[in-house]
Amino acid sequence: MREIRVEHLARVEGHGNIEVVLDGDEVKKAILRIYEGPRFFERLLIGRRYYEVPDIVARICSICPDPYQVASSRAIERAMGIRVDRQVEVLRELQLISDVIHSHALHLFFLALPDFMGYKDAMSMLDKYSETVKLGLKVKRAGNAIKEVVTGRTVHGVVTKPGGYTRVPRREELERLAKQLEESIEGAREAIRVFSSLPMPEFARESNQYIAVDPGDAYGYSGDHLLTSDGERYPVERYMELTNEVTVGHSSAKHSSYKGRSFMTGALARLLLNRHRLYGEAREAYGKLEDKIDPSNPFSNNLAQAVELLYSVERAVDLINGLLDEGIRDELMVEVSPRAGEGVAVVEAPRGLLYHHYKLNDKGEVVFANIVTPTAQNAANMDHYLRIAARNLRGLGDEELKLRLEMLVRAYDPCISCSVHLIRLRREP
Amino acid sequence: MVKPKVGFYSLTGCQGEYLTILGMEDSLLDLLSLVEVVEFKLASSVELPVSVDVAFVEGSVSTKKDLEYLEEIRRKSGTLVALGNCAVWGGIQASTTGTDWKDLMRSVYGTDENLYGFLGEHKGLSEVVQVDYELQGCPIEGREFTELLVDLVRGVRPVLPDYPVCVECKLREIPCLIVERGLPCLGPITVAGCDARCPSYDTACIGCRGPLRDEANVSGELETLLKRGYDRKTLIDLMSMFGARYGEVAKLVAGR
Repeated sequence: MREIRVEHLARVEGHGNIEVVLDGDEVKKAILRIYEGPRFFERLLIGRRYYEVPDIVARICSICPDPYQVASSRAIERAMGIRVDRQVEVLRELQLISDVIHSHALHLFFLALPDFMGYKDAMSMLDKYSETVKLGLKVKRAGNAIKEVVTGRTVHGVVTKPGGYTRVPRREELERLAKQLEESIEGAREAIRVFSSLPMPEFARESNQYIAVDPGDAYGYSGDHLLTSDGERYPVERYMELTNEVTVGHSSAKHSSYKGRSFMTGALARLLLNRHRLYGEAREAYGKLEDKIDPSNPFSNNLAQAVELLYSVERAVDLINGLLDEGIRDELMVEVSPRAGEGVAVVEAPRGLLYHHYKLNDKGEVVFANIVTPTAQNAANMDHYLRIAARNLRGLGDEELKLRLEMLVRAYDPCISCSVHLIRLRREP
Repeated sequence: MVKPKVGFYSLTGCQGEYLTILGMEDSLLDLLSLVEVVEFKLASSVELPVSVDVAFVEGSVSTKKDLEYLEEIRRKSGTLVALGNCAVWGGIQASTTGTDWKDLMRSVYGTDENLYGFLGEHKGLSEVVQVDYELQGCPIEGREFTELLVDLVRGVRPVLPDYPVCVECKLREIPCLIVERGLPCLGPITVAGCDARCPSYDTACIGCRGPLRDEANVSGELETLLKRGYDRKTLIDLMSMFGARYGEVAKLVAGR
């Protein structure tokens, strides 16, 4: 028996470790164990008023607070029959994009790249790759700049509510922002250059299945339907059929399956299912990379993130210019009279699908909350590919094996804090 | 010059403080060049250090593991700084203070068994170990962190705000959201340092920086807002979101 343990995974958000047990050629165990402290979010939402929800759920995650705010606002609006106007929709798309830009840049340049370059972190890469790291910081900065302008803060924005925003950006702020984004685009190009030139690890290849949102005409990060890699299309209200969550003994995240098999959600899933909706320079870039993006290799997720980074910068500039052309209106929030109801919404967080589902009473208080996070959905898939990797790499020494397994988990860009806040765990008998 | 050894540690939370620090792209590399970062799991793969001059700790003390880790960090650190509302007041998860832990476990995990070594409450660091400085906020402000770090590197005693958000609102000449618009603003009981961020975005302070330690006039705030027509439950819920472990708020929560 040979036991491999990666204690406390570094360069991922949250606390987790990898455990692999090999018995000769057989993989006895290959799991990502998640041991984040419990925070009881679903419980703290109960009895809270509808307008407090976006501020509370933002605290589940610091890498991706914006998808939480947008998804919860939208689900609550559905529950109470509120419609918001197009300007709010555009600002929300910008809010989702802000997180994709900052999170993908963080992941690609600071969390994933050091592995490929043989460094312990991005700071140590500065001597040799300072230009790359600085371009990465610049594009990440542009993502955060959107957050500052649209949401009021880079982490846990302050203005997103059901019914709209308490403050809309000023014209001058948007003009400055568009300029900053345009000037940062080289960082996105650099991500594509760097990651397309790296050798793609091949030790965890096997056919995979994917789920992503149907964004409508343009490539994007929200919609009312889900697309699956077997060609099905589901309305968001049927999300339970796509998540099929079950509790497992080894992890504080529930495991998901679609048609009996684990699936992947996130940048690679979105790109594979929605690539024909890309436009601009990102579409060209994708055309050149198409052969390198291997649907059966989770490491392709890094390259998919690079394409999305480029697309998101371009798309943000387009959306801002659209707002400036139409003239930004200092709209007040939609007047809300609380009423009982039930609503579901889905958005794409940087690392994949995020479902929010609420029931409210006639005072607008939460009586039921269900949140399904991307990392929880990816958890079973990560274990599946860890098993494949462990089998293929069993000849390596412990240290080498550990590093490869860590790299594999990081390719999913897991966000562990998010994955654990909402689970009903039954212990296995 | 010998650079001070610095460690960044995490207990139970969302790591928002570290995302805020990593979000200071313009000054991050300069800032980190002032110190020797010996531990920063979110950004780097390195081993636990023997000892550090300054330990920054974010997250609440919620599990047995958190407790043991924190005690070890305390032993191995010169100066210990609590970063963010989780580390100072237990964070948003501490808003369940006063609820029986079995009830929490049952409603979330469907069991009466204590999973994950949960301590039954989410505590701030100073309830458990001696803390040298507290930087409040959910999340912290990057500017405040920069000033604190620079002061510590220079051997200067950091000065942190000991006045409420209202002072910053006045300095920015923002009309009072309670007086002018009747909004349930927690500015009067919340510690300053954010430059009145929420009021400047036309939204009431939700108290994410936590109560002004030892000086927040909770009963005054409650009375003022009750007079403006808000019901007691709404107000206590609001104050407990980031301050449930503050003495006066804790009493209100217990009597709810």
